[in-house]
Amino acid sequence: MDQSLIEFEHITMEFPGVVANDDVSLSIRQGEVFALVGENGAGKSTLMNILYGIQTPTGGKVRIRGKEVETFSPKNAIELGVGMVHQHFMLVPSFTVAQNIVMSKEPRKYGVFFDNAEAVRRTRALSEEYGLSVDPTAQVKQISVGLQQRVEILKTLYRGAEILILDEPTAVLTPQETEELFEVIRRVVREKNMTVIIITHKLYEVMAISDRVGVMRKGKLVGVCNTADVDEKILSSMMVGRPVLYENLEKTGQPGDPAILVSHLSAKDERGLPAVRDLSLSVRRGEILGIAAIEGNGQSELIEAITGMRSYEGRVVICDRDVTGQDPGSIRAAGLAHVPEDRLATGVSKDATAAENLLVGKQRQPRFSGAMWLQKTAAIRAYTSGLYEDFDIRGAGPEAIVGEMSGGNMQKVVIAREFSFDAPVLIIAQPTRGVDVGAIEFIHTRILEKRNQGAAILLCSADLDEVFRLSDRIITLYEGRITGSFRAGEITKEEIGYYMTGDRGREEAADEKEA
Amino acid sequence: MSDILKSIFSVGTFHQMLRSATPVALAAMGGSLTEHAGIMNIGMDGMILMGAFFAVWGSFLFQSAAAGILVILLMGVIVGLFFALLVVKFESDEFIIGCALNTFALGLTSYLSRSIFGAAGTKGNPALPSLHIPFLSKIPLLGALLNDHSLLVYVTWILAVLLWLFVYKTPYGFWLRASGEKPDTLRTAGISPVKMKWLASVLCGVFCGLAGAHLSLGQLSGTFAENMSNSRGYIAFACVIFAAADPAKAYLAALMFGFFDAIGLRLQDYISSDLTNTIPYLITIVMMVYVVVHSQRKKKAAGKPLPAKL
Amino acid sequence: MKKKLDLSYLASLGISVVLAFLIGALILAVSGHHPGHAYAAMFNGAFKGMRHLGDVLEYAMVLCICGLACDLGSRVGIFNVGGEGQLLLGAIAACQIGVWLDGASPWLVFPLAALTAIAVGGLYALIPGVLKVKLKVDEVITTIMLNTIAASICQFLAKGPWKNANKNIVAGTQQLSARYWFGGLVRGSNLSTAIFFAAIMALLVWYVMQKTSRGFEMKITGQNPRFARFSGLKTDQIVILCMTISGAMCGLVGMFRVYGAEHLFKSSISNDYYFEGLMVAMIAQYQPVATILLSLFFAVLKIGAQGMELSAGVPNQIYLIIQTVIIFFMAAERGIFRSIQARRAAKAAKARLEGGSSHV
Repeated sequence: MDQSLIEFEHITMEFPGVVANDDVSLSIRQGEVFALVGENGAGKSTLMNILYGIQTPTGGKVRIRGKEVETFSPKNAIELGVGMVHQHFMLVPSFTVAQNIVMSKEPRKYGVFFDNAEAVRRTRALSEEYGLSVDPTAQVKQISVGLQQRVEILKTLYRGAEILILDEPTAVLTPQETEELFEVIRRVVREKNMTVIIITHKLYEVMAISDRVGVMRKGKLVGVCNTADVDEKILSSMMVGRPVLYENLEKTGQPGDPAILVSHLSAKDERGLPAVRDLSLSVRRGEILGIAAIEGNGQSELIEAITGMRSYEGRVVICDRDVTGQDPGSIRAAGLAHVPEDRLATGVSKDATAAENLLVGKQRQPRFSGAMWLQKTAAIRAYTSGLYEDFDIRGAGPEAIVGEMSGGNMQKVVIAREFSFDAPVLIIAQPTRGVDVGAIEFIHTRILEKRNQGAAILLCSADLDEVFRLSDRIITLYEGRITGSFRAGEITKEEIGYYMTGDRGREEAADEKEA
Repeated sequence: MSDILKSIFSVGTFHQMLRSATPVALAAMGGSLTEHAGIMNIGMDGMILMGAFFAVWGSFLFQSAAAGILVILLMGVIVGLFFALLVVKFESDEFIIGCALNTFALGLTSYLSRSIFGAAGTKGNPALPSLHIPFLSKIPLLGALLNDHSLLVYVTWILAVLLWLFVYKTPYGFWLRASGEKPDTLRTAGISPVKMKWLASVLCGVFCGLAGAHLSLGQLSGTFAENMSNSRGYIAFACVIFAAADPAKAYLAALMFGFFDAIGLRLQDYISSDLTNTIPYLITIVMMVYVVVHSQRKKKAAGKPLPAKL
Repeated sequence: MKKKLDLSYLASLGISVVLAFLIGALILAVSGHHPGHAYAAMFNGAFKGMRHLGDVLEYAMVLCICGLACDLGSRVGIFNVGGEGQLLLGAIAACQIGVWLDGASPWLVFPLAALTAIAVGGLYALIPGVLKVKLKVDEVITTIMLNTIAASICQFLAKGPWKNANKNIVAGTQQLSARYWFGGLVRGSNLSTAIFFAAIMALLVWYVMQKTSRGFEMKITGQNPRFARFSGLKTDQIVILCMTISGAMCGLVGMFRVYGAEHLFKSSISNDYYFEGLMVAMIAQYQPVATILLSLFFAVLKIGAQGMELSAGVPNQIYLIIQTVIIFFMAAERGIFRSIQARRAAKAAKARLEGGSSHV
């Protein structure tokens, strides 16, 4: 147990302009579950990518079983018994489960042909050995995310991994699936003497599964502790670098009339499957309605439908205007502004400057566009630099290309633009995804300001803390239906999990109570 | 009217169909490899044109069609390497490189033709033989249809089968497809997706070269004419899309092109050849529309998709 | 390719041009021509005498408008590769208007011919535009197919129903009466007053693209159409409109060629001229100002190469080779730069891993 299996010695990883790992030294023992925690961009994934050979460190050494790693390549890492389950799964969607699992070590017929029957047989044997049941002949794109993760784990086992790296494995899982995953981890450690490294930023998971925990901040390893010796509070202040004190944000004013009315809305997802089913809701002025749901339960499609980015059945009314079936432009004209969940795909043009991104949507206003459509550059410059200052956007100034800005600053550009429409209705999705702590507080304050000024806000976030902190009312979505509706303070984070997993969750809760 | 129909649905038309389909099929088969490897290859037209020229040049230089084919194999590899260098290694815009490659090929072949042959084209160079297979001629109808084709027509059939086996039945084919669909999967499995892309480019260069060789040394018996690829590379690209990059299906799509080309030739007796020439191109547009409408119907009502970024 | 036109763009353009000429020299030498003589002949072919200079300007006009038409499409994310077909159809239709209305006042014929060219070119671009926007059919393949179709239709018309009465002209329409021609500016050259109209058009396109709120909307649409739609822009309309205008511009070029230079429709109206304009636009990274300036440069090359062919017997296609080699270098430039950097970084990292000093 005490033997060092992996040693990182003074690992440094520099990218142009960024130091992702700064002199990190760490040793990991045979047969332990080691948790690596830290904020987004703290360098956890980079360190593990080095261990798996995807990146070559610009300085330092890695030893596995006492031997120095000379060439950094996944091939070499696999030979050394390292397996990694990436946050974004490394599976080919159109291939079957078996074809994915055996990739690079395919069974062959006559030396050149792929032996599919043998691949299926081996997959079956492996899944029985570890108790991870999968259908080897199913196409990966047709199975659930939880199952895909299982395929990923089987893949590493097929390649003979003894060290298993899991990068944010629970981000896409339901609480039940998470528990199943932890069961698997405990079993492989106990029965196969494997070593597991789990990257996460959910601290209660660290407490639940790990033996030891390492905390990273801004590329540096700031501490390694036995999990039994610490608690979530200590870990979170280590992560952020200062005690985290969430000030209580002030909520003033009374909710007014409904400004968002959605009735009997149904929409389908990219694959044509029902994503939102006959859903109705309303949000009043001066009120924040938070949606709590696990990713993929219709919240994205619901928001896209309301904002005119997706076709749907049902009726949507914004500020007393029926905007059913209208395009995003007309819906915005009715008084809606929208912070989208995926800022790079939808929220910005990354090839344009910050100033240009701040202007979009107002470019035809007479103050910015004169006779013969001529742009009033001076007015535009004054306005956009004003916003740039107001929203505390940091970087190379309003003329910086947005694609080169950090996630937090890019998000501030989006929020500055959307909030400055002064629209009575705001739809806000994932406002702080990939944003650092300082910016999170700033963004939260701005959202509450808007609410206090009388905006009707529909908020959707994968971060339950955020939903609880900001919302006046919370609804839970499961498979496109509302499964619960609560006033702030009526329910706890722990309890709401049951509603987020639909009937299944509630049944299991009931079972537990009976037992 | 019945005369027209008779002439259209004669054995000759279908014989012509196989001939006309072959260069498009060869290029489309090569294109299906680059498509699987995730490279949008619209430079196939230039590759075909260079193939047509260098095949004739090799045949002229060594006075042997076989030498022409050897030159083509070499040229195909070089062109494929060049394409991969720019697109895979230097990650240049595939579209720009493809466009420029087509114009480059036009400039280079016209320039060399004028420099070497002193004219925009050449003819009467040693051509590829046509094969007469005795046992085939005994079968009625089918014999007449399948017999007496230029060598590469038969080679194409064999290649189509081999390529299909390669793509769908060997581990290498799996890697090739993974390199386009999810390259990181391959990388984390310890196999270089970049190498698979290089391989696909080189093979595509060779296949397009052969397509050109068939055009100049087979179909037109040793003739090179300026810009003789005549957008066949683009038609091949449409076939690739139509066949969802399945080499065998791409061959069938090329057959359809060949069929309409042959009909066009037959109709020349009745309608101006300038108008019948447009038939294969019109069919290609219809084909592209069909593919898109068909695939959209499958995921109908999936919400209105937004235009993808170029 | 980079987006901004700055010093580093100029530097990479300069290096690319020099390298392309060197490669051109190599090809010339290998194929038995003296590179120095050939390039001298090329220079003379472009600059010796007003006649050549006139041809240079006329060809620069063609490249410039074609290139700007391409810019306009690519600005909103649609690639108009079909300009050749739009140009040819615009030319033959405009020409036939002049033939049909022979005898009418030029004040009637000119605008009518121009409108016809605009309408025909625009409509011919509208087809792939609508297919792209409404059905997501890739515009590159459709426009290229439409080029070949247009060329065939023009051949058919010029050989058949609209054929010139003169038997020696195999494929050509009737000649326009001289009163409908654009005024010649340089005797013996193709340069005509059409260039003034072209200049106004170029100015207008530059103004709309670079200076107006609509140009801004076009840019955002091209950069991220989903974001543009999300922000309330009518992206479908913008794309179709720009594609149509692009086609209309190509149609007008066809009319300029007929009424300014050739005075009847025949195959020399355009010999893949649109593609050469498209290449110029690519090298200019779809920036209007650079497109206009580079058109002049490439017109010099092209007319020079034609002169070179006459005086030194070197096939003028060397021009296409040089032009495309420039594109290869420009497109690969960032990748080449990156791979040099990566190699350096790898070397440095290796040196450090081997326990060397930590300086880079």
